[in-house]
Amino acid sequence: MKISTTRFGEISIDESKIIHMKTGMLGFEHLKKYELFIQDEENPFWWFQSVDDGSIAFVVINSLAVKPDYEPVITDAEEKLLEIESHDDVVLMSVVTIRSDPFKVTANLRAPIVINTKKMLAKQVVLVDSDFPVQYPIKDNGAVHQGKEKANLFSSVLVL
Amino acid sequence: MLILTRKSGETIRIGNEIRVTILDAKGRQVRVGIEAPADVTVHREEVYQMIKKQNILAAGYQDSIVKNLSQVWNKLKNPKEAVE
Repeated sequence: MKISTTRFGEISIDESKIIHMKTGMLGFEHLKKYELFIQDEENPFWWFQSVDDGSIAFVVINSLAVKPDYEPVITDAEEKLLEIESHDDVVLMSVVTIRSDPFKVTANLRAPIVINTKKMLAKQVVLVDSDFPVQYPIKDNGAVHQGKEKANLFSSVLVL
Repeated sequence: MLILTRKSGETIRIGNEIRVTILDAKGRQVRVGIEAPADVTVHREEVYQMIKKQNILAAGYQDSIVKNLSQVWNKLKNPKEAVE
């Protein structure tokens, strides 16, 4: 199917690559279908593009690329909701906030987008009683590449 | 706004599937237990607002901003190249 987007013009998407959100992103609850776009292999910043509304796309980064020891607690209810059978199927993405100073980019570790890559189901999970910050500074500590390796589950995702 | 008075241990039911129980009340703090289906999101209001605000901000970036960011990032990874 083809969708019209503000940033990338008209793009074709493979329906099997559509990620279905159970409750939508906070503030965008009405948008349930997304596609993850990798712009180029060297760029750790990816796009989480709404399929329903071409003007909405979030800049995201693999949470493990930001913090390699990141292990948020996902509740049993949420695992059930996302039909998670194995943690190997799960990819965590964090919404990125960009500031005028490019060195002050942050990632939201408090509310990761939890994606079950096997079922293509996702939810922005707000971690309960967690100290992970909403604005965690992204620093270059060599971790980005490690995270990318762990994110290879998505290697087959359409590259723009 | 509907206002109900409840004692510790008492519950309020919202719809068929949501139960809110007052667990404990000490001074100005009240502990509340919430049982809701997994697809109903429950958040502290201020946390919800903070994340929503950040999402709204993050949803509006242009493609060029990320390209610029990517360039800066690559320079950061390869500082020698950046000097040359």
